[in-house]
Amino acid sequence: MAAPVPWACCAVLAAAAAVVYTQRHSPQEAPHVQYERLGSDVTLPCGTANWDAAVTWRVNGTDLTPDLLNGSQLVLRGLELGHSGLYACFPRDSWHLHHQVLLHVGLPPREPVLSCRSNTYPKGFYCSWHLPTPTYIPNIFNVTVLHGSKSMVCEKDPALKNRCHIRYMHLFSTIKYKVSISVSNALGHNATAITFDEFTIVKPDPPENVVARPVPSNPRRLEVTWQTPSTWPDPESFPLKFFLRYRPLILDQWQHVELSDGTAHTITDAYAGKEYIIQVAAKDNEIGTWSDWSVAAHATPWTEEPRHLTTEAQTPETTTSTTSSLAPPPTTKICDPGELGSGGGPSAPFVIGVPVILALAAAAAPASSLLI
Amino acid sequence: MDLRAGDSWGMLACLCTVLWHVPAVPALNRTGDPGPGPSIQKTYDLTRYLEHQLRSLAGTYLNYLGPPFNEPDFNPPRLGAETLPRATVNLEVWRSLNDKLRLTQNYEAYSHLLCYLRGLNRQAATAELRRSLAHFCTSLQGLLGSIAGVMAALGYPLPQPLPGTEPTWAPGPAHSDFLQKMDDFWLLKELQTWLWRSAKDFNRLKKKIQPPAAAVTLHLEAHGF
Repeated sequence: MAAPVPWACCAVLAAAAAVVYTQRHSPQEAPHVQYERLGSDVTLPCGTANWDAAVTWRVNGTDLTPDLLNGSQLVLRGLELGHSGLYACFPRDSWHLHHQVLLHVGLPPREPVLSCRSNTYPKGFYCSWHLPTPTYIPNIFNVTVLHGSKSMVCEKDPALKNRCHIRYMHLFSTIKYKVSISVSNALGHNATAITFDEFTIVKPDPPENVVARPVPSNPRRLEVTWQTPSTWPDPESFPLKFFLRYRPLILDQWQHVELSDGTAHTITDAYAGKEYIIQVAAKDNEIGTWSDWSVAAHATPWTEEPRHLTTEAQTPETTTSTTSSLAPPPTTKICDPGELGSGGGPSAPFVIGVPVILALAAAAAPASSLLI
Repeated sequence: MDLRAGDSWGMLACLCTVLWHVPAVPALNRTGDPGPGPSIQKTYDLTRYLEHQLRSLAGTYLNYLGPPFNEPDFNPPRLGAETLPRATVNLEVWRSLNDKLRLTQNYEAYSHLLCYLRGLNRQAATAELRRSLAHFCTSLQGLLGSIAGVMAALGYPLPQPLPGTEPTWAPGPAHSDFLQKMDDFWLLKELQTWLWRSAKDFNRLKKKIQPPAAAVTLHLEAHGF
């Protein structure tokens, strides 16, 4: 007769514990997600509780001080990014979770920056965008492309999420393209658009594989070769022209050469023994703009002393041959009148006079940086 | 002779028929001569020269037309100007044009455009504009001759206009001043685009007619360009 009573007692206790457990650990509702603007003030009500109910607020599990409360409501002033988090309110001295708010502090989007470029002419072009300042909350972008009155598809880039690609259906069009982008998040909305002709956005990628080599037995020559960018689909029908610039590392002024054909060039007025930096840019022969400069190639012209020179690096010892720094070394067979007559160096003749003196003075110094 | 805007286009029909009957350039004997290569290069160079000339001419002319025509982002819908030869072409169609068709399209386009330009010249208000336009027309005539030379060298006949396909402009209700200006705007725009297209056309012709090596040509064919 006594046995069923304790059994029932245990059952009730267990049930009560289960109820308390579930109410403590699983909220009555999913947290309410709320977005608020950086710098603003926000008042979070504790769900449906009375205005003057006694409650405790917690953020990410940590209790908040009561001086932030206005009755049962939590007041946050001058929101900062650090205020983002999971806010929960409980009736005081109770485990019973009453209400949860997932607060995200952010900004409405400013006008996006949109640009389009064709590095694969005539296949198509791409547009990319970004926001000038971050919003700290998720944004949704929507891009539309109009060619006259016709709408075109902009395919999302598989790797970059702020870029999409458009394929040209027609070439040589007199009608402009209009690309519009709108961005929105929970706090606001913004948009911009750009209009352009097919020809104005053409800009190839820089030339690839720029290699510079010294020419044996030629102390003033460097041979430069490169390849057309692999993204340019049809170099035969849409040939590229190239722009080469080079200077010795120790000088600031570049020499320039424009080349309408071919992917090789020989520099014939290099300073003997000086390490050079060389870059190449590309442009469609008729339309668009120049590409960015390629990755730089480095090379030092051949020098007469037998040394273990690598093709691209300059070893410091070569600078001890200072007498040859700015004039052909006397022991070299000067058999190419073109070299002597080719301006003899950069367009800054003042360089020639001074360093000769410096060179003699610095003859003992190993460091090349002492020259000029 | 009271030339109203609508009538002047009609007068062009007369002028254009005259232009079509340019004396045919006798076909050159291909064996033993350098081939059409040098004249293709010359034609290409002419398109570049003309494009450069047009840039300053168009700038001056659009300023003369005044706003909004001289605003850089002026983007009107293409209404009217239907008889203007359009440079725009489907990418694949353009790629697969045979040489004869490519040359013919260029020749016909510039014949029409020259015709319209001469009409523009007669309406131009200032003497300086008329001078620039006349100079440009002369250069454009040179380009036409150059294209004709290439076609003759390759043995292609010069296109003769069929009756009824001449560039006429129905002299209906007189064009309003604004619509006339729109027509001028589109003429200049189409001319500029044709010059860009011709440069690409002649590039393609250059490579096809003077391949550096047969192997290279075959290699290109394989890429399907």
